[in-house]
Amino acid sequence: MNYPDWILGFPGGILIALVAIVHVVVSHFAIGGGAFLVVTEKRAYGKNDAAALAYVRRHSKFFALLTLVFGAVTGVGIWFAIGLVTPEATSALIHSFVWAWAIEWVFFFVEITSAIIYATSWDKLDRKSHMLVGWIYFVAAWMSLAVINGIITFMLTPGKWLQTHNIWDGLFNPTYMPSLFARTALCVLLAGVFGLVTIGKKDGGARERLVRWSGMWMLAGSIMLPVFIYWYFLKLPKFSKTYISESLTNVSQALRGGIACAALIGAVTLVFALWKPRWMRAPVVVVLVVASLGLMGSGEYVREFSRKPWVVNGYMYANDIPLSAIPVLQKDGVAAKANFLLTTDTKSMEYGKNLFTLECGSCHSVNGYRSMRQRVKGWDAAFATQMVAHLPMTKGPMPEFAGNEADREALGKYLASLNPPVDYGTITDANRMAVGAQVFAVHCGNCHTVNGDFRPLRDAFTNSTPDQVEGLLPMLDTMSTNMPHFDAPADQAHALAVYVATEANRPLSNPPASNQPGPPPGVK
Amino acid sequence: MLLNVQVPSMDPMPLPGPVWLMTGLLLLVFTLHVLAMNAALGGGIWTLWNYVRGKKPEHPNSRRLAEELAKMLPIFLAYTITLGVAALLFVQVLYGRFLYSSSILIGGYWIMVIPLVMLAYYGYYYVSYTAVKGKSRTGLVAGLSVLCLLMIGFIFSNNMTLMLRPEVWLKMYRAHPNGFNLNLHDWELWPRYLHMMIGAVAVASALLAHLGMLKLKKDPEYGAWLVRRAAAVFAIMTGIQFLDGLWLLLAVPRDVAMVFLRDPVAGTVFGLALMAVITAVILIVLGSMADKPSPLVHVGVGMVVVTVFLMTGMRHLLRQAYLAPYLDPGAVVVKPQSSAIAIFFVLFAGGLATVAVMLWKLAKYRKMQSPAGAGDAAA
Repeated sequence: MNYPDWILGFPGGILIALVAIVHVVVSHFAIGGGAFLVVTEKRAYGKNDAAALAYVRRHSKFFALLTLVFGAVTGVGIWFAIGLVTPEATSALIHSFVWAWAIEWVFFFVEITSAIIYATSWDKLDRKSHMLVGWIYFVAAWMSLAVINGIITFMLTPGKWLQTHNIWDGLFNPTYMPSLFARTALCVLLAGVFGLVTIGKKDGGARERLVRWSGMWMLAGSIMLPVFIYWYFLKLPKFSKTYISESLTNVSQALRGGIACAALIGAVTLVFALWKPRWMRAPVVVVLVVASLGLMGSGEYVREFSRKPWVVNGYMYANDIPLSAIPVLQKDGVAAKANFLLTTDTKSMEYGKNLFTLECGSCHSVNGYRSMRQRVKGWDAAFATQMVAHLPMTKGPMPEFAGNEADREALGKYLASLNPPVDYGTITDANRMAVGAQVFAVHCGNCHTVNGDFRPLRDAFTNSTPDQVEGLLPMLDTMSTNMPHFDAPADQAHALAVYVATEANRPLSNPPASNQPGPPPGVK
Repeated sequence: MLLNVQVPSMDPMPLPGPVWLMTGLLLLVFTLHVLAMNAALGGGIWTLWNYVRGKKPEHPNSRRLAEELAKMLPIFLAYTITLGVAALLFVQVLYGRFLYSSSILIGGYWIMVIPLVMLAYYGYYYVSYTAVKGKSRTGLVAGLSVLCLLMIGFIFSNNMTLMLRPEVWLKMYRAHPNGFNLNLHDWELWPRYLHMMIGAVAVASALLAHLGMLKLKKDPEYGAWLVRRAAAVFAIMTGIQFLDGLWLLLAVPRDVAMVFLRDPVAGTVFGLALMAVITAVILIVLGSMADKPSPLVHVGVGMVVVTVFLMTGMRHLLRQAYLAPYLDPGAVVVKPQSSAIAIFFVLFAGGLATVAVMLWKLAKYRKMQSPAGAGDAAA
């Protein structure tokens, strides 16, 4: 509300994710890889292994090119992206943690300097000093992770900070330690994966030895990672755990993807790196790098999603609206408070569209990612307006709507315009259950299931007849302030009542008539 | 006139440190960032020119200079970015509500800074690896890298001028809410951009004069050539800077520019900067004209660094004057995070010491190797 809203045409979170995921892969490699370089160097000296030394020299050049340029610049890219997409949250973070970032910057400065020196001073330093530079690099790099980890975990589990606003309470929050350990395990794993990239024909007979050495790092990381991730999950806030335990489709898909990537990495490590290192060829390495990206991407996705609907849990919503601003906006309306609106004509469709980009656009697009057109099927303006008032009750994690009645109406009108009303056709005995399921999906399914996990209606309606259910429908909003007013033609209301009563009384061992209502039929 | 201008309100969170401290750190790191940027961009232009010129056998010095400079370019850019991050940190905490707003307005271009830096950076690495071998594409890549940096400078100049102009934001936002705006209608944009870019070449030239002085001992002919050439370019560029500076001063709205006349501190900084740069030109030119370039050049280069610092101060005072109608120092709540600030300074000192140790180790090893006649080891 404070800042202009960058209208990208797709959720800004995607831009942040694109920059962040590639950054975290390279930045974790930048840490583990630092240790990998020095330990490999030390080992090569100890064993007088010229081939390993030649390899580690080559690897240090690749390391510098990837981490100093791509790693560092994408890190700055995250700064740019978050400032553009969530300026309010970025401002809150910078006001709380500027000194943490300043401390991190000191480590970054040492990191950059030591990396440049390490990669270019193989012939310009004695062995001991060269390794000292390597260790300095690793310590600085890991310390910068230790600081940043505090800020990242703060956003999900701010802990006591919400009361004290104390920097140390924010940094050393409930998920700080498990996350730091899990990320360190990832650093070790990625050091091994990227260690393979520079092993080639040039290494001749030493090739298999080097592959196995990288494999050891991958194995160590793979063993530690699940333990620390489990510890991390234990420390998650309750609401985040439900996203995982109740299996929201996208979270469970991301989780499954992550587990598959981790399993693939584990299997490839055992077979191609440790058992038969001569099988480790370029395509296998590519698979490993891609699987690492997948593992990191799905991990970061689950971590980010488990914070929804917040950007800073308990302080600021994902749409960059602070919790403290909600009451003011609900009283005075967006038009009176927002600095950069495309129009202030609250009656216009343009205003509703503007509210959509402002309040929903950071997570939803109209047609693409988390498409609203799909989600508002069958909604008319009145129903959409009511739904906007009850967003936190819906199945997905949603923030409160920040606006007054006029704003709700404007947004409701815009949402309803995305999809024309549904035509159920003539309702007969033959299609009544099917239509009822569709009416349920439109009017009730956003916040309820009948026999499912999410706010099931079964207990309320077991032993109810369709007439009894139908009798309750006009009173929904008086029964609970969290329920919208039910307003649909009588035949649709009847179909809904038949569907709910039948489903609620169906023995659970029987297959459902239509447990998962599909999209409404016949869109005009 | 400004009453109806919408500016984001201050962050409800208190400032985590005294304004003077964070402003001081901002000015310090920004000065260092500018020096590194000047070396990276100005150095890139010098490399490109001398690389092309050095292809002819009659210009061996140019060829040598291009090869030497090429190796340094990625390092200059590394520190430009590193120091830029620090400046970005403090400018966000002090001026975030202005900077975020203008960044979003030009968001489509602003985000392009990232891929452009990456291209320039990889380009510089390519040049550093291939300049000696003289690959056919080296010059082209160097040119593209320089072009990327010039584009980044233009995007930065747009943002830094636009953040001072809240009165145009709403209209601009409504014209292109997708972030494809530029601050082209602002008369200050062009002279300011030129000021930074010409300044980059001037300062890089001064630094090269310094490099030339360092080479005098081992190779008097090459060292003297470099000092003279760099001094000449420095003097010419600084002359152009004077004209551009005048244009810039005229382009700044009168009531804002008056700060240098009305405010004794601003007036003093302005006067000192002017004296510093004139002294720098005189010293570098005189020092380079002697039969054997004299240490006056070193002093002159030192004055250039002082000038950059004073100019950074002027830039800050101008920013304050621009934003005066929107700033209310009395409303700023400061709650210093003393323990974190103390830890930062201790670590900062520790960090500098660590870097010093590494550089000392390098210098010691070089010294040990040189009497044995090992010469410069290949990278």
